[in-house]
Amino acid sequence: MAETSHWTGSEKYLCDPALAQAFHMARILGMPLLIEGEPGTGKTDLPIHYAKDRGLDLEVYPVGSKSNVEQFVARFDHVKYLRDSQIEILNAQREERGLATKLSTGNRNPESLADYVVKGPAAIAFSKPNSVLLIDEIDKAPREFPNDLLYALSHRKFIMPESGEVIETTEEQMPAIVITSNREQELPTAFKGRCIYHYIDFPDKEVMAKIVEKHHPKLDEQVVKVALDVFYHLRRLGLERAPTTREILNWLKYMADTAPKEAVKKIEGLEGIGALIKTQTDIERVNRMIGANNATFRSPN
Amino acid sequence: MLSSLPEQFRAHGLKADVRTLLLFRKAMQKGLIKTLGDVYNVLKGMIVKSPEDIGPFTKAYYQYFLHLPIAPGQTLEDAILRSETFAKWKTQFLDEADRDFTDEDLVNAFLDQVHLTSYDIKEVVSGKEIWDKDNPDLEDEVNAKNDQEPAERLLEKMADYSDLTLEELLERMEKVRQQQKTKHGGGSHWIGTGGISPYGHGGAAKNGIRVGGQGGGKMARKVMGDKNYFPIDREALLNDNNVDAALASLKGVIEESATEKLDVPQTIKAGLKRGGLFLPELSSEKNEELKVIVLIDNGGYSMAPYIKSVQNLFRKMKTRFAHDLEVYYFHNTIYDHVFIDERRSKSMAIKKLLMHNKDYRVFFIGDAAMAPYELTSSSIKSIQSIALKFKKCVWLNPEPLRYWPHTYTIQVMKQLVPMFPLTPAGIERAVRAMNTKSTQG
Repeated sequence: MAETSHWTGSEKYLCDPALAQAFHMARILGMPLLIEGEPGTGKTDLPIHYAKDRGLDLEVYPVGSKSNVEQFVARFDHVKYLRDSQIEILNAQREERGLATKLSTGNRNPESLADYVVKGPAAIAFSKPNSVLLIDEIDKAPREFPNDLLYALSHRKFIMPESGEVIETTEEQMPAIVITSNREQELPTAFKGRCIYHYIDFPDKEVMAKIVEKHHPKLDEQVVKVALDVFYHLRRLGLERAPTTREILNWLKYMADTAPKEAVKKIEGLEGIGALIKTQTDIERVNRMIGANNATFRSPN
Repeated sequence: MLSSLPEQFRAHGLKADVRTLLLFRKAMQKGLIKTLGDVYNVLKGMIVKSPEDIGPFTKAYYQYFLHLPIAPGQTLEDAILRSETFAKWKTQFLDEADRDFTDEDLVNAFLDQVHLTSYDIKEVVSGKEIWDKDNPDLEDEVNAKNDQEPAERLLEKMADYSDLTLEELLERMEKVRQQQKTKHGGGSHWIGTGGISPYGHGGAAKNGIRVGGQGGGKMARKVMGDKNYFPIDREALLNDNNVDAALASLKGVIEESATEKLDVPQTIKAGLKRGGLFLPELSSEKNEELKVIVLIDNGGYSMAPYIKSVQNLFRKMKTRFAHDLEVYYFHNTIYDHVFIDERRSKSMAIKKLLMHNKDYRVFFIGDAAMAPYELTSSSIKSIQSIALKFKKCVWLNPEPLRYWPHTYTIQVMKQLVPMFPLTPAGIERAVRAMNTKSTQG
């Protein structure tokens, strides 16, 4: 029986209730969950923490511009196959020359093609019931990649190259598939249609304070409050690249070693702002804003 | 059952079809749908496919399931207060309430009930246990939402439908939905103080259900007021505000492919070194092709308001993607020259333009409005030759779509080059048209 109980987050991961519900629904229906949202909203962390918390096996496939279905599902190792199939001749040659050592095929048998199929994360996840499969940043893939997955997603079935072995899973044992995307390119409609879709909102101040607490539980409350004021103020400036959760966490990590009072001072002085602002234009902009009015960065309360 | 759902949701520009219904049925079978809030959640996961869909979806949902139409520009709160559904609910709610409520409180309570999901119902326990087993987190949230409301809200009844068959449930849901519309629907509409149920009141009632408000209603209200979700008008003409949306649509023109190829010279070289043992050497090849020619009509007053936005768009495109992009200018129509500079002083022969590789994508940007005498055979020929050479060729027109049939020259140009409105949605369609052409050959 698949793992279909409602999961609401763990000690380290604060899961938005709406996201938890969408994830639960996807698992019950045996469909992949497609998560989109700004960078740093915890898209990738969801399956990682879920698998860890529930003690399930996790397979990760990070997508890149050169990704293709062979890497994702399985490929046939021609090199090994060719080598092994020539080994008898090679060994005979070696014997002729009086060499004692023999080459071995490492228990692979050239007669059985399945020995040379190198399984990718998808094939592994589908052959293990109740595993978790993460396809990270699918928007980075070439256009045809998501389309190539359609068959597998709707039929829960992969066919291995050369050996013809079929890896199939039932709806009940379907791995929990989570796909993340940063919306750098629009995904094909047919692909989206086979997924349960969820868009993660950027967390508001209250939620962010909770997230910070999960990561840096020892941090002084006042420090967090001041830092979040600055953080949300920066986000409102309409910068080219608005700071995200990841960045505020890094910034606070940097502050964690300082005494609270000093840290507040440092934050108000925008020390280490480079952790938050990442482009030259944005730095200039922030500088200009501070130059214009120092009170800009004070908290309104 | 619910057979009119796809049609009604499609009217809001959403993608819903018979598969949506089948999936919805499956979700019911699996017991995912117990409350009206569940209906919202489940359908949202199935139908919404991008953040821009959330607004229209919420609107369609209110209209279809609650018969609560929201006029353009109207806030959700206003729409609710004016609706009959709400009026009916209010009568019943106030009957059982022991004090007066403000409109705001009422809308809050209404939204909370509409969006009450089965996840909110923590467990079915006796009243005593609820008080003892209190979850501080949830209490905080409820308090934060509305101080006047009691921290604990109890729903008196929660119908348990597990005994009913799927068919019965579906049938009932449809019937109740219909009744919702008619004024004299009788007592069994699905909105009552016992929570809101898609099936009306029925089944075994259980007492003491704990509600930990997650504020689903709050979310809906936010969506309806949020520019990010709601009315980004994708049909609005290109301007500096929606230039980013247009840019996102343009991104689709990048064709990227990765292939693994057998590297023959390398295989031979390495094979010879190994003394005749040839192992295939693979090399991966990545192609990212984007070659664009933009032809902008920058003459005359008619185009003046759009020039800046168009240039802005393609400049952004250039810095973002750093590919081959060439911009030329023309006035009203193209004879045998295009111009290299904005002031149209340096010209380039059309022949030279045609010498570009045929993989270039060509965007004409102009209103295609000109005096009929300008539409000579030579200008038609020039444009024809461009369209013939560059298969991926579109015309983006800033003129509102409704004027197109009345402009003779637009009608002619449309025959020569596929024409789309200069709006984010139009650009998206244009790009899609280009891409399908590229796959055809």
